[in-house]
Order: sequence, then C-alpha cells, then structure tokens
Amino acid sequence: MNRRDIFKGAALVAGLAGATVAQAQDETFTIGVAIPSATHGFMGGLNFHARDTIERLEATYDNIEFVLATAGDAAKMVNDIEDMVATRGIDALVVLPFESEPLTSPVQAVAEQGIWVTVVDRGLSVEGIEDLYVAGDNPGFGRMAGEYFVENLEDGDNIVVLRGIPTTLDNERVEAFSAAIEGSGINVLDMQHGNWNRDDAFTVMQDFLSRFDDIDAVWASDDDMAIGVLAAIEQAEREDEMWVMGGAGMKEIIGRIRDGDPQLPANVSYPPAQISTAIELTALGLVSDTPVSGRFIIGSQLITPENAEQFYFEDSPF
Amino acid sequence: MTDASTSTPPRRMRLNFHVFGPLLAMVAVMVIGASLNLSFLSPENLTNVAARSAFIGIIAVGMTFVITAGGIDLSVGAMAAFVAGVMIMVMNALVPVMGAGVPLIMVGMATALLVGGAAGMLNGVLIAKVRIEAFIVTLGSMGIYRSLVTWLADGGTLSLDFTLRGVYRPVYYEGILGLSWPIIVFAIVAILGELAMRHTAYGRHCAAIGANEQVAVYSAVKVARVRMATYVVLGMLVGLATIMYVPRLGSASGNTGVLWELEAIAAVIIGGTVLKGGFGRVWGTVIGVLILSLIGNILNLASIVSPYLNGAIQGVIVILAVVLQRESKSAD
Amino acid sequence: MTVPILSAKEVSRSFGPIQVLFDVDFDLRPGEVHALIGENGAGKSTMMKILGGYLAPSGGSLWLDGAAVSFADHRQAEAAGVIMIHQEFNLALQLTVEQNIFLGRELMRGPFLDHAAMQAESRRQLEALNCPLDPRLRISDISVPNRQMVEIARAMGRNARVLIMDEPTAVLTGRETEILLDQIDRLRASGTAILYTSHKLDEIARIADRITVLRDGHLVTNASAADLTPDQMAEAMVGRELSDLFPAKREGQAETVLEVENLTVPGHVRGASFTLRRGEVLGFAGLVGAGRTELMEGVVGLRKTTGTVRIMGKTLAPGSVLAACKAGLVYLTEDRKDKGLLLGKSLRENLTLLALDRFTNIRIDTAAEDRALTQAISDFDIRAGDRGMNAGNLSGGNQQKLLLAKTMLAEPDIVIIDEPTRGIDIGTKQQIYQFIRQLADSGKSVIVVSSELPEVIGIATRVVVMGRGFIAGELEGNAITETAILRLAMGTQDQEAAPA
Repeated sequence: MNRRDIFKGAALVAGLAGATVAQAQDETFTIGVAIPSATHGFMGGLNFHARDTIERLEATYDNIEFVLATAGDAAKMVNDIEDMVATRGIDALVVLPFESEPLTSPVQAVAEQGIWVTVVDRGLSVEGIEDLYVAGDNPGFGRMAGEYFVENLEDGDNIVVLRGIPTTLDNERVEAFSAAIEGSGINVLDMQHGNWNRDDAFTVMQDFLSRFDDIDAVWASDDDMAIGVLAAIEQAEREDEMWVMGGAGMKEIIGRIRDGDPQLPANVSYPPAQISTAIELTALGLVSDTPVSGRFIIGSQLITPENAEQFYFEDSPF
Repeated sequence: MTDASTSTPPRRMRLNFHVFGPLLAMVAVMVIGASLNLSFLSPENLTNVAARSAFIGIIAVGMTFVITAGGIDLSVGAMAAFVAGVMIMVMNALVPVMGAGVPLIMVGMATALLVGGAAGMLNGVLIAKVRIEAFIVTLGSMGIYRSLVTWLADGGTLSLDFTLRGVYRPVYYEGILGLSWPIIVFAIVAILGELAMRHTAYGRHCAAIGANEQVAVYSAVKVARVRMATYVVLGMLVGLATIMYVPRLGSASGNTGVLWELEAIAAVIIGGTVLKGGFGRVWGTVIGVLILSLIGNILNLASIVSPYLNGAIQGVIVILAVVLQRESKSAD
Repeated sequence: MTVPILSAKEVSRSFGPIQVLFDVDFDLRPGEVHALIGENGAGKSTMMKILGGYLAPSGGSLWLDGAAVSFADHRQAEAAGVIMIHQEFNLALQLTVEQNIFLGRELMRGPFLDHAAMQAESRRQLEALNCPLDPRLRISDISVPNRQMVEIARAMGRNARVLIMDEPTAVLTGRETEILLDQIDRLRASGTAILYTSHKLDEIARIADRITVLRDGHLVTNASAADLTPDQMAEAMVGRELSDLFPAKREGQAETVLEVENLTVPGHVRGASFTLRRGEVLGFAGLVGAGRTELMEGVVGLRKTTGTVRIMGKTLAPGSVLAACKAGLVYLTEDRKDKGLLLGKSLRENLTLLALDRFTNIRIDTAAEDRALTQAISDFDIRAGDRGMNAGNLSGGNQQKLLLAKTMLAEPDIVIIDEPTRGIDIGTKQQIYQFIRQLADSGKSVIVVSSELPEVIGIATRVVVMGRGFIAGELEGNAITETAILRLAMGTQDQEAAPA
C-alpha cells in the first residue's frame, strides 16, 4: 500500500479507509476501465498498475466488479467503451483516451447516460464531460527537469535533448523545459526525436556524439530513451564527460540513482500509478458518499539518491 | 530472317545506369552528408552507421529472397522482438545453472537461431503448403509475435541479467581490425546471399517462382519447398540479427523492432529487387539498407530541417531511388 | 472498285538501327477481307500495330477515308472505327463478359451504371455473332474461343469499320474456327473491312478476298485470293520452294518404354490406358476439352492422378515432375507463354531451368550455360537478335524452339509435346517436324498432342483419339485419316466397326 501513498493526499487515504468500513449495502457496481495496450514501458507500467489495483479492489469490495479493456488504437477503444455500456451496464467508466479527439464524443455519450466518467492523463477536447480528471503534470515534468539542469550546470555548458513522439504531451514537456532553462546560459546544441524508443535514442545519441565534442549533460526526457543514450555514451567511452536525466521513474533507472550512479544524478517522476489513483477514487465515489469529483493533478517529483527508495517498486515491470 | 520487329532498341548505354542506380544514389547521399558535416566521414561515424544497419541489413538479405520468390514477410520486426525476448528469458533462466559465461551465450545464440527458424517455418508452412496469402499469414504472425513479447515482458521490458551483459556486450561493441562483429556478420551474410542469389540453383529457382510460378512447376522446380525455405532462412536470419541486437542494449520490449519489416522491405526495393517478384539483387539490398541508415544519420548530424520532417525526407528519397531505376528500366 | 477506308502508303518502321518494314503499301476496303501473311518476324505485327494506331510509322503515311491521318495512339484509331483484336486478349479476366464489352464506355442511368441495358446489349451483340454466352459470366470462366468472341463483340460495340484480327484462330479448334469464319463472312457482308492474319493457309484461302505477303519487312505479293494456291502462298512467304512439310514416317521398335494403365485425372480423364514404343511418334488427337492435355499433365505428375505409369517397366512415383524428369520423361506444355518460358528472363536462364542440376555444383557454372546456349542456338536454329535478350522478345516460333531446347537439355528418353506448332509459321513448323522425326530416329519416343489433324496425320505412326475424358480408340498406319479420327473423337464409332 505504501507506494501509492506518495501520489495521494492523506485525506484520500482516510477516505478510502472510511469507505472500507462503510461497505455494507447490497447494491453492486460495475466499473469499466479502458486504457491503451502495453506497447511502451510507461503504458506497460500503467497496465500493470491498473490490473494490480483492480485485483486488490475486487478483493476488498465484494460489491464492485471491473471490466478491463486495452486497445491498440482509438477506434478499438471506442468499441470497447460501447460494449461496456451496452452489454455490461457499467456504473462508472475510467478511461485513458487513446487520442483526445476521437474519444470525446463517445465518452460524452456515456456521461449523458448518467454514468460516472473518470478521465485519466489525457484530457478530452471538450471540457466538463468528466466527473473526475486525474492526470500527471506534463509542464511540471519539463519544468522540474529544466530547473535541475539550471541548478547543476554552469553558464555556457552544452546539453542535447531527446524528444519523444511528436505529440501535445511531448510539446508541453519540452516547452516547459525550455522555459525553465531560459536565461541560464545553458546551451542546447540540438533536439531530436528519439520516439520514447531505446533503439532510436541509441542511434540519435550516437550521432550527437560524433557531431559534438563537448556535451555536459543529456535530457533524455524518458527512461527508455535514457537506456539507449547510456549505451551510446558507453560505446563512445565518454561516460565521465556528461550526465543523463531520463524521466518517468523506470525501476532500473531509479535503482541506479538510488545506488548513486554519477551518470544518473536525478529523475523526474511521471507516475504510471495515476491509473490506480483514478480507479480507487472512482470506486470510492461509488461505494461511499465521499465527494471525489473534480481535477486531481499528480505533481511530478524530483527523484534524487536521497529519496529514490520510495520510488522503487520491486515487482513493477516498469 | 530475325524477329527484329519484336526485339528492342539497343540498351547498353543506359543499362549501366539501371544497374548502378542504387550505388550512385548512395554516393550522392554520402557527398551530401560530407558537405553538411565534416564528422560524417569520420571512421567512428561510418562504422556506427554500418553497425546499426546490420540488424535490418541481415534481415533484408533474407527478405530479398522472400520477395524475389514472389512473397512478403511483414512479421520480421515482431519476430525479432519475440526472438530477443525468448533468448533473454532462456539465458536469464539458465544463469544459476550454467553461470554467466561463454557457454551460456552460445546456448542463447542457438536459441535465437532455433526460435527464428521455427517462426519462419510456421510462416512458410502456412504460405507454401496451406497456401494462404503471404500478406495475410505474416500480418497475422506479426500481431501474434508482437503480443507474445509484450506478454512475456508483462507489458514492460525484458532485461538481460547484468552479469551476462558484461560477457555478451563485446558481440555488439567489439570486433576485429576495427570492424565490429555486426558489420562482419552483415558482410558475410551479404556475400553469401549474393552468391546464393546469383550463382546457385536455389537463387535461380527463387527468381523463377517469382517470375512465373506455373513455369517453375512445369520445369520440375520444387516450388513449395523452395518457397518454404525462403521463409525459414529469413526466420534464421532474424535470429542472427537478434543475436547481434541483444548485446547492444541488453533488453527487449513490445517496442523492439517496430517497423523493421517496412525498413527491410523498403531497402530491398530501393536495391532494385522487384516487389512482385522474379528478380532479386542482394548487393542492391545492402546498398538500400545503407542508404536508409545514412539518411537518418545525416538528418541527425545536420539538423537542417525540422526534425518533424525527418520521415518526409526519408520518404522522398525512398521514392526517388525507385523512380530513378524505373526511368532507366524503361530504356532496356 | 470501292475506295479504301484505311490505307498505308510506303510505310516504313525502324526500331533503333533495325528496320523492320520497308515502304509497304496496304489498303483495306469496306466489305473485304484482306489477309496479311508472312513468316514470324516478317513485319506483320508491326504493320498491324501501325494501322491500329499502336505504333507510329517511321516513314510513309496513313490515309483514312481518302485524307492523310496520323493516329496519336490506338484510342484515336478506335474513335475513327479502326479496332485491333490482339492475339493476347485485352480482356480483364476478373470482370464479366458484359463489363468487358462496355469497359470504358459504360452505359449510365443518371449517376449509376445501367446494368440491364448493358446486359441486354451484350446479349444482342453476342447473339449477332452466333455466340449465346451469358454476359454475367466472368472472362476467367469462359473458354478461349468464347473470349475471342467477346473481343469481337467488344469491337463491334465500338462501331468498328475496320477490324484488325491478329491470328484469331491460333487457339481455336476446327469447329470453332468454322464459326468464327462464318462471323467474318457476316461482318464482311455488312460492310466491315477486315485485316486477317493466320498461319493456317487453308483458312486464308477460304476467307480472304485479297492477300498481301510480307517477307523480311518487304512486300512480296499483293494478289487476289483466287490467284494464289496455299502452296504458292507458302512459297511466297518462305521465299523458296517448300519440299514436303512432313518427313517420311518410320515405324517404332518393339520395345515398350511407357505404359499408362487406367489413369484417372479427377474431373478430366477417366481410366486412360496406352503404351508408347521406342522410336515411335504417337499422336494424340481429339477435340479441345477432350482431356488430352490433362491426361499428359497427369502422366508427368503435374496433376493428381490415380492409376499407374510405368517407364521401362518401373512404376513412376505419382505427383512429381522431378521424378518423371529423372526417369527420362518430359512434357512440353501447349501454353509456352504462361507455363513454358519465363518471358522476362534471359534465354540462358530459360534454357537451363529444367536441367539446372546438370550445371550446378553448389555454384552454377555460367560458362557451361553459355556453351549450352550456343549449342542450342545452332542445334535448334533459334534466331535471336541478341543472346542477352529476354525470352519474351523472341517470336513465337523461336520461343517454341527455345522450349524444345530447354526440354531436350534434360536428356529425356520420352518427350511429350503438346501442340508443337501452335501459332508458328510454316517454315518453323517444318523444322519442328524434322526435329521430332530425328528424335524418334535416334531411339527416343515422342508423343505429339495436336488439334491440327493434318499435323497428327502427317507426323504420327499411331494415333490415339480422345473424346470427353476417355480414350475413344486408336488408329494405325493407313487407317489414320481425318474422317476416322473425327468419328472416334465425336463418339460416332459405335455405328461403325470399331477399329482395333
């Protein structure tokens, strides 16, 4: 239980505990959970946390059932949601929209039928549809990384940046990062897309290394990419020259931060466990009178060797 | 009395251009690269490019035979991820038994070749014996392997045991005479492939089947067997590519090898092999792979255009390379 | 004399440095069948393509209705009512008869296709050709002669005033040819001008009003059909006197080399049995669809069969062409373009495909292949402009010779040749007959499957006749006559005393 505590306020924990006591009524509820399939480390972690939470809640509450559907594209996700409403009669829907636009009106239709809607991570294009919005903080993610760079680099130091797949999410992060380092005198040599992919990041970093003789730090912006970047640096034998900052708190990377690896001084969290928060809050709203609607932004946190232990989840695949 | 009315005008002059088209394209790309950034021609950079081309290159050589025989294999990227996943799991599982040493690496390599060969055999049987369209079979197996590796990795990443990584790492990063092993293996595969395509009955039979399956049947060619062999060989080459790939990052995930199949197919076509079969050129495929890698490399080195447009530039060059050949083809 | 609709004056054509037509005059008048004949490669195809707008002449001029004209492409020619029917049909195999007839000029009702009208019109066109075919059938499902009819119907639907027919009867049986010739008679009567080519000179004599003979790109003769006998035509084409077309026959030896017993090819042939002796030329006659090709394909393992095939007393493993080839039995397909040769590949690769293992010791010995090609070119008199050319660029006769060479490279003892001279000029035919005779004389055994009765009669010492999937009977020596064969083939032998 303790690992989720960091993502939630103490009040929520209290509320959950209270609800556990208060579950005596006979009414049963069905909660539909629709999330993208595990094609990337982060989504893998998210899937893991979703399953884990569902299992735990089903054990805790006898009167809640879950329907979990993972989709490889937006159209499949829409079908999944329609099926949940039509055949399973769900009382609440927790959805991480594959893409904002295509999911907006189907989710709106669900909300109009009086079904509770919780939207996770990616907002819908129309505001006010969802009852509850739980998300990570993308600008905060970029800003926090940027601030770390400003603190730990000198005026005139050189960095390179690896970006993700070109999306709003990536733009928000990179813009906030750029804003944070503005005026610090840190010199961004180049930014290229590594597509949140280890192999692509390896290739891009290899080329950065052939091109630039002097690199002081790398913002890999994602831990999958950080792995590729580290391999490329190791190949070029320039480990002593620069440090790397990833993001999203992958187990392997957090472990190295915890152990004080000089190449990996810090990380910024972007918790895949936000899905747990969303599912728990939704369940709580159904079985108790606790008011859970609104927006719930889980701030990114800076992970350093000092606090890394709290972010290290032994059994998570991510 | 000759059949002059149906013969064609002389074709010597432009034939050469058709033959050397891909080579010229590669030289042009290299000239552009060198003019944009001096470090492009540094030995480190060139060996980096060659080494990263090796995975797709090894696969693309196998793909050349499949396409020449009139087939296609969309599953190679997912297959590579699957083979890498199985290989890592087997090796991790055997560390306590065998210890992290060279014998275990050998077992891992054998596993990769075996799993790759079996996966190729499955495609081959369905295509050559059960006679289902290659496109459908491999589209299906692509989904299967992709899901399987995601499932094996529990949605995350399969990582090679840390102690093993140290032992295995040299397979990607070291070599002889300044050439890393992936480059050497790629070169050997390419040379053997070229010999097989041009100088063996197997290569001739592949081309015959791709050109006209009926004629091949009537000419006592064992069509089903040859066709199946193309997929099995491709599967084993995927295994070989995986052997080179795993030591690089020591991991595999649902994200490994995404779109490799399309890169391999594109390289084959850029190299002058005919997509509908009947004519294949292994050395052209090698050039095709190198062209694709060089373009990516130059875009990273030069940042002349917005990185959003990298895909567009690659697309334009791929199409241009093929158009150039078509132009010259109409002359012969 | 009527004014020509379409005429060519002193037309020349070169491909690169090679001139293939030299100042040829040719004209087509309404209500006339004008035959254009010549050996393969004499320039017939080029001439037809120029008239049909597919090729532009390098010199000379075209005249349409008395005015000089130049067609930019065949579409313009078609718009002017000049339509060419190709030997390889321009039909979309997966579309229906009706869709093909109206391809590119579909009838519309508002924004939609008017299927009813198109079907009715197609049916009418086909009936006018005495070919009652359901317009809803797919081209791939109808017979080759019927496809020919659809091509003609399509041309008529485009208001053809000039019809250019490139060997329309090459793939037709005798009866089908008759029907086609009747249709041509009818078209002629309605005022259509028809250019007709064929290698079958008796047909020319039957249908043509005028005949133009080309040789090596030069006009040799232009005469009224009444003034030329088939022999004179042949001599004009070849430019020399043709001795007897068929070589003298010789009986086979006593030894049996091939025994086929109770062979059934499901759906095509039931319980066929026959034998072949050493040094014998055995003919297989019958109507198209009698199952001759299917039987032979079954014998060599190209089709699933039940029954026994024995070569020199040894039972042949069924279903393997390779096993048959190794046992010395080979089959030359009737369909050299789709099943015999790789048209897009070089002569060398085609030549050695069947016997490739003879040239391979892990590596293919290309030098040996080249020597084999040199040998084949001289042995079989293959006339190729360039050794490096593709098989598809050879003329039909030379393709057939290449296919023969390819097959003989496997050093077979028994050769089955299906339609050995289809679509081949008379000079080459004679060479092929000579060659078959030499094979038999050298102790090999040959089966000739042919739809041309004179051919079977001229070459075979014994003839097996098939009808509707059965072996209907066998004829030998002087008993081999057209009437006897036809009687057996049509199943009327019951009224007669059945021979042998």
